[in-house]
Amino acid sequence: MIERRDPAPPPVGRVVATEQKPATPHQFHFWTANETTIGIGAIVRVEQPGNGEGETGKVVWGVVTDGFAYSDLATPLHDVVGAEGDPARAAESPTVRQEIRLWTAAVLRQQPEEPLQPVPLGPVHVATDADVAQALRMDAYLGGAQPTAIPVGLYTSGGLEAPVYLDADFLLGPEAAHLNISGVSGLATKTSAVEFLLGSIFQHFPPHKGRIAAVCFNVKGPDLCFLDQPGALQDEDRRRYERLAIRAQPFESVRYYAPFKADGVNLNTLRTHPDLVGDVEPLVWGLREVLDYAEVVLNRDDIDAKADAFIDFLSDRVVDKEFEDGFGGAHRVVTFADLERLFRSIFDGLELGGGRGDTWRTHHIATIRKVRNRLSNISTRAKGLVTDDGPSNDLPWGRFEDRAVYVVDVANVDPLAQDLVFARVVSKLREHLERRDLGVDAVVVFVDELNKYAPADGPETYVKKMLLDISERGRYLGLVLFGAEQFRSQVHRRVVGNAGTMVFGRMDSDELATPGYQVLSPATKIKLATLPIGELMVRHPHFTQPIFVRFPRPAVLRGRDGVERFPPAADLPFEDAVVRQLVKLDRRVRPNLVKDLIADRREEDVRRALAHTRQTRPQDAFAHFRKQLGGRVAAAPAAARESVAPLNPIADEPY
Amino acid sequence: MGAPHTLTESRSWVDAILAAGVVPACYIPDASVGRTDLEEFTGADPVEDPELRVHSLAGARALAPAAVGFLDGIEQWRVAGYAGVTPIVRVYVAAAVRLRGADRRPRTVAEDAAELAITRLDRLPAAVREALQITGVRVVEISEEDAGQPARALPAVRIEVQKARAALERRLAEQRVTALGSDEWLVVDGVLSDSAALSAHSRALGIVKSHGAEYFAGVELERALTLPAGHRTSVFRPKRRGARREIYSWYLRLWPWEGNDLLYGLLRVEARAHPETVARASAISAWLTTERAPLSTPDRRWDRLLYPIHDVETYLRARAPRDLVLHPASRIPHPGSRLPRTGS
Repeated sequence: MIERRDPAPPPVGRVVATEQKPATPHQFHFWTANETTIGIGAIVRVEQPGNGEGETGKVVWGVVTDGFAYSDLATPLHDVVGAEGDPARAAESPTVRQEIRLWTAAVLRQQPEEPLQPVPLGPVHVATDADVAQALRMDAYLGGAQPTAIPVGLYTSGGLEAPVYLDADFLLGPEAAHLNISGVSGLATKTSAVEFLLGSIFQHFPPHKGRIAAVCFNVKGPDLCFLDQPGALQDEDRRRYERLAIRAQPFESVRYYAPFKADGVNLNTLRTHPDLVGDVEPLVWGLREVLDYAEVVLNRDDIDAKADAFIDFLSDRVVDKEFEDGFGGAHRVVTFADLERLFRSIFDGLELGGGRGDTWRTHHIATIRKVRNRLSNISTRAKGLVTDDGPSNDLPWGRFEDRAVYVVDVANVDPLAQDLVFARVVSKLREHLERRDLGVDAVVVFVDELNKYAPADGPETYVKKMLLDISERGRYLGLVLFGAEQFRSQVHRRVVGNAGTMVFGRMDSDELATPGYQVLSPATKIKLATLPIGELMVRHPHFTQPIFVRFPRPAVLRGRDGVERFPPAADLPFEDAVVRQLVKLDRRVRPNLVKDLIADRREEDVRRALAHTRQTRPQDAFAHFRKQLGGRVAAAPAAARESVAPLNPIADEPY
Repeated sequence: MGAPHTLTESRSWVDAILAAGVVPACYIPDASVGRTDLEEFTGADPVEDPELRVHSLAGARALAPAAVGFLDGIEQWRVAGYAGVTPIVRVYVAAAVRLRGADRRPRTVAEDAAELAITRLDRLPAAVREALQITGVRVVEISEEDAGQPARALPAVRIEVQKARAALERRLAEQRVTALGSDEWLVVDGVLSDSAALSAHSRALGIVKSHGAEYFAGVELERALTLPAGHRTSVFRPKRRGARREIYSWYLRLWPWEGNDLLYGLLRVEARAHPETVARASAISAWLTTERAPLSTPDRRWDRLLYPIHDVETYLRARAPRDLVLHPASRIPHPGSRLPRTGS
């Protein structure tokens, strides 16, 4: 992978040290010609040859962190005097003053590493490929029996281009893990970088580390909706792919999941173009899926210990079990509709029970009403994701495929539903990874807008706690968080702090002024504030200093381009949407027959039958659907309402 | 091109004479004031005008050579040791030509350096003489009378040092002037008239900053020394002295002297004794006036020191042996001082 250049190129600079600016074991200064290829972020090599009498030489690699230019002008006033106060004349002076280009470099590595001594005052060379590998300690994981190198981009300086690799053990665990990427929005940096890096990981993930997959939450627009479609690349991009030994191709295996819209039949995603919508799976959850994560969606200020206890009771004793309500009714609560029937039965029972008080199974009726209210609110706010009735449709837990990307599109759903999706998916990942039955050994979870899910301040939400848990313990499980945000300072300190690898795109100046960036030199900050598209600053456990790299644009279709090439289809009328879903399951289905069948039927009945068909995936989809839908029921006159005895009779008067 | 590794050489012969019994010493004289003009009245003949007059440079079209070489030299010396009361002085002289081209950046095109020992050999013990001979260092002797009196020895040494430097400069300048391009000039820091080749060349100029020699008296002297800024005097011919060649010369004021001193910003220019020089005196003067910028500060002679000359000097000092100058960060007592330093 590493190409060694011709030996002994001429030096580009020389280390200088003064009492005011000495060379130390961690920093040195060197000068170059005024016209030089050296710039901020350049990697250089300082050599001190041995004396041939047993004393070994020393090689120091450093990265340029600051630059200075000054002339022999004693004071600015002398320039004014020389130009007689006319700035135009200053440029007319027959001689150009002596100038210096003085650079400050931070030491990346010394060879030998012991004894650690100040940098020798020797010649400075630009780094070669081999130097970059040595300087960044990549030699430890580039070679050997089980290399773990993942290409992250190209270090470029002065015409030199050297691949930079991350260590999979430190990017994806178990030594360290997680990646955090910051950058201002709108420069196609964060998402593009993650798409590129995921592609690189999938192609270079070491075989001895097993199988890997990625779960990406699409939280805005069409960003991740076209990962399986090839994007436009320029020759320069292809050359960079080749240099990095990565095939420039879209992801081979991508599964899309999106909840329905409120109508329950049209998918809530921008990937609804007829050519693409076929491989978008609906994400539909029922009562069990929601109740297990009720804590996520219920307001902590609203739900007290009593409500918690009642929810636990429902979860442990009622849901999915044969249950008697104590008023003579037997229930099997599987769906929200079943639960609603149970609640009505309880309320009716308490009201009709005649003075049996206002508690049921030790739970106060007010608590029961509150929980009922909140749970029904979930199904309202997350309509399309949460089904009142009918079966759920979920990610393929236990059947995750190697090198597959699972995109969960929650861009257009209610924030409450986003939280629910996020919490449940990640929790399930964790459960399965703990049991080692997910189907893969490691999962990269990409979460954009991390400042929203794990803000530095604000309430302790379930989602935040879960992200903290992943950040701190996920690496042992193979659960790796790739988080992105615009402002790193607004993300919880422990979430970003636990990210072994940090990536920075172009940064906002205000953000760079926050304490988290104090370790960067002013010049590095300026470079970060003006970073072009496609260039990143990377911090990695093996790199003692941040390194700037360039990466090719991802080989997948960008969200905006995808929407133009595959414009989302307009929402279909209910009947057409049902037809489309059935045709997707079975191409033999005849639309007219479906439309005739569902005419005048209640939409919830149709949705339930459709969901069952979708879940069952029968050979004959239409026959199954028809059976689930059942026969038409003739309208019956409403039964006379039973009279209800007052709970607290006021008098015994017989009238 | 390229100076010899004088540091290694000097250490070898200094170590040798110390090993031969010379008492080590450390005396570094005050910085050289450079080559000064003769301090005497010599007189001058009018060339351009019947008497010395003042010419304004306003409207004069400045000469703009495509390339200009600037030549300067340095001298550094220190007493390395004493054999009895006879000093043995280590001397380093160097000179360089830095050529300024279209990019306005000077680059070294010629340089030379030499190291020598100055002493009186017959006053040294045989072992020391032998040590000097073995090491091969060039030895310049001072007179017997001067060597016998330390108070006279060091001024005598200084004169020999200046001679060595002047000889080196002259040699380098004469080499360079033969290779001068068709639109290239050579500006020398000091007089031209001590070199036949230089004083005869049509594109060689001497810039004299010290004004020990007096060429005029009375009204003409007053005109010369109260020359306004941006003016020159008439071209004159200094009267020949000793080995000096015939030359044309004129005064030029770079900066207003009022409020400073009569010699403030005052240069004397030397050029070939030829009618063409008279014709070009204003153009040359206007050119030299443009050389006021950039200022050659922090040198105290900045009012007369052209920046390119200052640049040559800076270059030479940067390459001189470090042990011949006192490092500004040094905390040891100043070796030239007879008293220990106290306090800070």
